[in-house]
Amino acid sequence: MNRPAFSVDRLLNTSAAWLLALLWFLPLCYAVWTAFHPAAFEAHFVLTAPLTLENFEEAWAAAPFARYFFNTFLLVTLILICQFVLCTLAAYAFVRFDFPGRTILFTLVLLQLLVMPDILMVENYKTMRLLDLVDTIPAIALPYIASGFGIFLLRQTFMTIPKELDEAARIEGASFMGVLSKVYIPLAKPTYLAYGLVSVSHHWNNFLWPLIVTNSEDTRPVTVGLSIFSAIDSGVEWSVINAATLMTSGPLLIGFLLFQRQFVQSFMRAGIK
Amino acid sequence: MTNAPLTTVDGRAITLQSVSKIWGDSRAVDDLSIEVPAGTFTALLGPSGCGKSTTLRMIAGLESVDEGRIRIGDEEVNERAPSKRDLSMVFQSYALFPHLSVAENIVFGLKVRRVSRADRDARLNRVADLLGLSALLERKPAQLSGGQQQRVALGRAIIGEKPVCLMDEPLSNLDAKLRQEMRTEIRALQQQLGFTMVYVTHDQVEAITMADQVVLLNKGRLEQAATPRDLYERPATPFSARFVGTPPMNLIPASALKPLAQADTLLIGVRPEALILDPKGPITAKVKTVEYHGADTLAECSINSEPMQVRLSGGSVVTAGDTVSFGFAAEALHVFDVMQNCRRDDLLPEIGAMLCS
Repeated sequence: MNRPAFSVDRLLNTSAAWLLALLWFLPLCYAVWTAFHPAAFEAHFVLTAPLTLENFEEAWAAAPFARYFFNTFLLVTLILICQFVLCTLAAYAFVRFDFPGRTILFTLVLLQLLVMPDILMVENYKTMRLLDLVDTIPAIALPYIASGFGIFLLRQTFMTIPKELDEAARIEGASFMGVLSKVYIPLAKPTYLAYGLVSVSHHWNNFLWPLIVTNSEDTRPVTVGLSIFSAIDSGVEWSVINAATLMTSGPLLIGFLLFQRQFVQSFMRAGIK
Repeated sequence: MTNAPLTTVDGRAITLQSVSKIWGDSRAVDDLSIEVPAGTFTALLGPSGCGKSTTLRMIAGLESVDEGRIRIGDEEVNERAPSKRDLSMVFQSYALFPHLSVAENIVFGLKVRRVSRADRDARLNRVADLLGLSALLERKPAQLSGGQQQRVALGRAIIGEKPVCLMDEPLSNLDAKLRQEMRTEIRALQQQLGFTMVYVTHDQVEAITMADQVVLLNKGRLEQAATPRDLYERPATPFSARFVGTPPMNLIPASALKPLAQADTLLIGVRPEALILDPKGPITAKVKTVEYHGADTLAECSINSEPMQVRLSGGSVVTAGDTVSFGFAAEALHVFDVMQNCRRDDLLPEIGAMLCS
């Protein structure tokens, strides 16, 4: 009886999924196509088109991408480490210690989730100038280190850890920091993994703030470097730009494909979508 | 591998002096004073919500003490952190660390205290031998059965060789057969190693069979602290009388018995198993239901609408609807005063003479 209804429903679902997947995938396909073929085949799709890596060589030679990659890597690592340390300590304090003003402070942390970081850009720039940090990598990182999302996420995870485990560890002689490092952090590993992915991909792709706060080659991350590279009016070809784009997003893409299963699992366990 | 027995420890005495715990406007533990002699097994017994777990947690240092003092050994420990009280604890949920293997769970405390690796391994081997965990050391707690998890929790508690061990209903998650085995095992372990044990349970059988001293609590207050034998044979209050023994002691208002009709603040207590069929006995009751158990027969009776249970030997024949007379030996008589909530041994001879001719 329910078979016809079932299959119509299924058909709609499947075709919608395919449509969305294709829409998402097409630009990437186009980028791959142009990057691996000579410029003459930019808008001319034939299977016999010759494959080439020249576009990559050209892009790599045209701008200091090695430097940009190094900057991005440094930036992402710095942010991730600082966020882990700060958010862990803050979340632990919110879960384990009863101090006056705890609820108010936590509400403030939640409020931070509602504020778009872009709104604060001018204010942040002023602060960085005051600290004399403009055009440095810490300047790109600093506004993002105290992450409301991270604190919230870790607090929720820590709260699901049974209180007896904490108590047992304390009776066995662990100090507050010992309990944190031996019980809370190991049990929150999936959350750290999931949050790490979100943080890394977000800051790898972040563009506007680094563009504003950096103005030399030595500090620019790949996103800014790429945009400057492709904005040159001297007629750089699409194939070269796409090759550069693939290069910059490549590491993240490969990393995600490799760890896909772990990421999906840890997202499920961490309870975020 | 050495099979030397675990080193015994010198237990420390625990003293509670007028200890109270106050939640808002209710007193979870109210003016409680207990003496736990060194190296003995004390069970904190009572119905749920009587404050026994709170008391244990106060001794452990997991709850603050609002009034009174707690001493372990010769030192007052009120303000001391749990880790500085030199004790171990087994939780009802076992509280095993799910991310650590059995071996790592057991040596957790030794590692925190930076005991050398060789010493740690030697002790781990002895404890694993003692508890039969040697084959399971590499497993994670989730791969163990309830009984095995329980043993790991025990191992973690005894490996530190602490003078005091606290247990919070450690057997309540096990099935009946395993519970009985573990009961014997925990008791043997305590006697072998010599630490002071405070054991929380709501199961009177556990308390009676395992403990040297049973501390019976009700609504945060001390009802009676006595040896299991005394608790059963000379309950100090009507609550103690009803709580210990299955089926519980019959408490009959004295006014329901003809010779004592005017003593209306007294309760006459007789255990169901002490009652015998006796045509000339002082208690006349109507049998309501009869349950045949093989070795004995349980009869539900009523005296002037007061319920009474009788456990008769297997051969006795009573049927529902009969009116039967029961008697009992003078030693089986208990008298309680409802107003003062206490036992009245001074009235025993007098009332005994009236009832047990």
